[in-house]
Amino acid sequence: MTSQLIDPKEILARRVLVIDDEEANVILLRNLLEREGYTDVHCLTQSSQALASYIELEPDLVLLDLMMPEIDGFQLLEAFSRHDAADEFRPVLVLTADTTIQARRKALSLGAKDFVAKPFDVIEVGLRISNLLETRLLYERLR
Amino acid sequence: MIKSSPRIWTDRPLAFKGLVVIALPLAVLLGALFSLYLASSAETRAEDDVRRAFAIQRDVYQVHALLAEAAAGVRGYALTREDRFLAPYYTSERDLPVTLTRLEEAIKDETVRPRFIELLKVTQAKRDGLRATIALTQSTTQPSTQQIERSLIANKLALDAVRTEIDNIQKLESVVLDERRALVDDVRTRFLALTAVSGIVGLLGSLAAVYLFSTGIVRRVSKLEGDAERLARGERLEAPPEEADELGRLGQRLSRASALLREREDDLRASEERFRLVIEQVRDYGILSLDKEGIVTSWNMGAERIKGWRTDEIIGQHFSRFYPAETRDFQPDKMLERARVNGTAEDEGWRIRKDGSKFWADVVITALRGEDGELQGFAKVTRDMTERRRSEEDLRLAREEAVAANLAKSEFLSRTSHELRTPLNAILGFGQLLEIDEDSFSKPHRDAILQIAKASRHLLALINDLLNISSIEAGAEEVEIEEINIGQLLEEARALADPIVKAAGLRFDIDLPCANATVQADRRRTMQVILNLVSNAAKYSTNGTFVRLGAEEANEQITVFVEDDGPGVDPANRSRLFTAFDRLGQQKKPNSEGTGLGLALSRSLVESMGGVIDYEPLDQGARFWFSLSCNVVPRIDPQPVQ
Repeated sequence: MTSQLIDPKEILARRVLVIDDEEANVILLRNLLEREGYTDVHCLTQSSQALASYIELEPDLVLLDLMMPEIDGFQLLEAFSRHDAADEFRPVLVLTADTTIQARRKALSLGAKDFVAKPFDVIEVGLRISNLLETRLLYERLR
Repeated sequence: MIKSSPRIWTDRPLAFKGLVVIALPLAVLLGALFSLYLASSAETRAEDDVRRAFAIQRDVYQVHALLAEAAAGVRGYALTREDRFLAPYYTSERDLPVTLTRLEEAIKDETVRPRFIELLKVTQAKRDGLRATIALTQSTTQPSTQQIERSLIANKLALDAVRTEIDNIQKLESVVLDERRALVDDVRTRFLALTAVSGIVGLLGSLAAVYLFSTGIVRRVSKLEGDAERLARGERLEAPPEEADELGRLGQRLSRASALLREREDDLRASEERFRLVIEQVRDYGILSLDKEGIVTSWNMGAERIKGWRTDEIIGQHFSRFYPAETRDFQPDKMLERARVNGTAEDEGWRIRKDGSKFWADVVITALRGEDGELQGFAKVTRDMTERRRSEEDLRLAREEAVAANLAKSEFLSRTSHELRTPLNAILGFGQLLEIDEDSFSKPHRDAILQIAKASRHLLALINDLLNISSIEAGAEEVEIEEINIGQLLEEARALADPIVKAAGLRFDIDLPCANATVQADRRRTMQVILNLVSNAAKYSTNGTFVRLGAEEANEQITVFVEDDGPGVDPANRSRLFTAFDRLGQQKKPNSEGTGLGLALSRSLVESMGGVIDYEPLDQGARFWFSLSCNVVPRIDPQPVQ
């Protein structure tokens, strides 16, 4: 939004996938994104469906919880990076209640582009989301 | 002599006794020899007397013969006047004085002597008569026959007188001769007898001396030899001899040596007995001795108590039977070998009692060597460590359980805080969204939204502190100990905490007598604790005027303290100050914010760095302090950076 390079409308049109087993959080994020003006928001509470949706939707940004039953966020991060081409920049923002440094390091090393601890500041999360999308757009433009 | 006064004889020195034993028979034999000599010289003398008697007889006969021949010659001359008849006369005149002189010297006997004097006279008369006849013959050319006849008759009478005297002498001499002969016989017989007696006495004396020697000295020497042998065998000696000679003294010395030896032996035996009793009575240690092969040779009460065998049951058995079947074949030999090589061998492990039950033993086997270094056997000391091992095991299990419980607790807290954060995220998030939209709400709704946000943030602070404590206690985060300059650290803390203290309307003092001291600590954690204590002081010092932050150094420790002059802490609550969820100040200041976990968290932080944290009341106010180990470095004046 501060950038003159990218049209804010272009960012808001991008596809965002939210994956969190806690429904209240999913609703919060959808609410936040819709308030910001995002138009293409997809949400999931079943992590088992996450990879299929990721492949099918090809989102521009993923908001990912780490601690989930069945398949956790770390496994999904690995799966996403295996699926994506090497030159793809498809950012993942990790949002987790696990605030330990270990979790932070592991997530980032597995390919997450950013990390925010729960409970988070909604304004901060909104800014990080638009920043990550802007980076993706710039990357696409460079190609 | 020996029996009547034995001490006079036996107390004499051996040299004296030897001299007596040898010299006595020698003296007797010498006496015998001397008497033999005396006998032979007396006999010689007697024989000389006899020989002299014979010589006297012969000389007396010769006087007679000379006179007779001279008379016959003179008679012939007187009758014939022929000189040749005078030759015997001259011979007689020449030889007679010699013979008479010889006789005079030879005749000593008093009875014969007068007769000899008489013989001299008559001989002289005869010679005078013969000379007168010759003179008569020569003086007249023709002597008358009468005259001649008278002269011859006179001569004849003179010769008869001589003859008579000679006969007398001869008779006397033969008597003397007989006496001498008898004397010679007598002397010879007497001295032979004396010699025989002396010889016999000497022989008997020698025999007696030898007897004395053998029955006295030899008997005593052999007794001494027996004593010496007994001494060597360590047996008791008979009563010491009373004799004062060398043998007696030797015997007394042997006896004294024996007594001394016995005394020492008794001492040694008593000490050995004491030692044996001590060993025997020891109950907590099994003490036993083994021979070179490992056969049990002694056994004390402790061994019986620990292992169950009685002394008479185990003596003569090999010590391998104390070992369980799994180690019996090799472990005992290994232990003995180690003890042989190293002098001692230690081991800890399971052993078997008589009843087959196992016990955990601490065993020391020591090689016993004689003065020559020769292996004599082994001493084995066994201690029953079963109880200790059990309590150690219990302790270890308890410790493991405690650690596991602590881990579980931390895990639980961590999990709980995580589980609480997730719903809290929705609450806070929506609350924040509502706050953003507050313009579209009525005043009561706005207040409600504010309360939700406030309570949610408080809940979040609680959860954060809980997670902090649990992660510290679980050791989830590494403690990074480094050397920190305490002056710098406190200055940083003051800068950070100054707004809080000022906001509470208090003065902020720094008290730093040891600004250059350094402390071994984790910078982040130490700062967290200091800020916690300072903000507590600011928060709870309701009617106070200052907060003082300082540090002092003592006994290689740095103590950081935070003081205030507020109401302080009720002594009754002191023990609960540093435990979680005891928010004492709440009672006095209802509006104060805080989780109540601050001091509990501080304690966890300080203890994670090996320090101590505590509280002490001041006359007016409170003093919280924590101490950490430090190193004082000599002051180095650095050049000012700017």
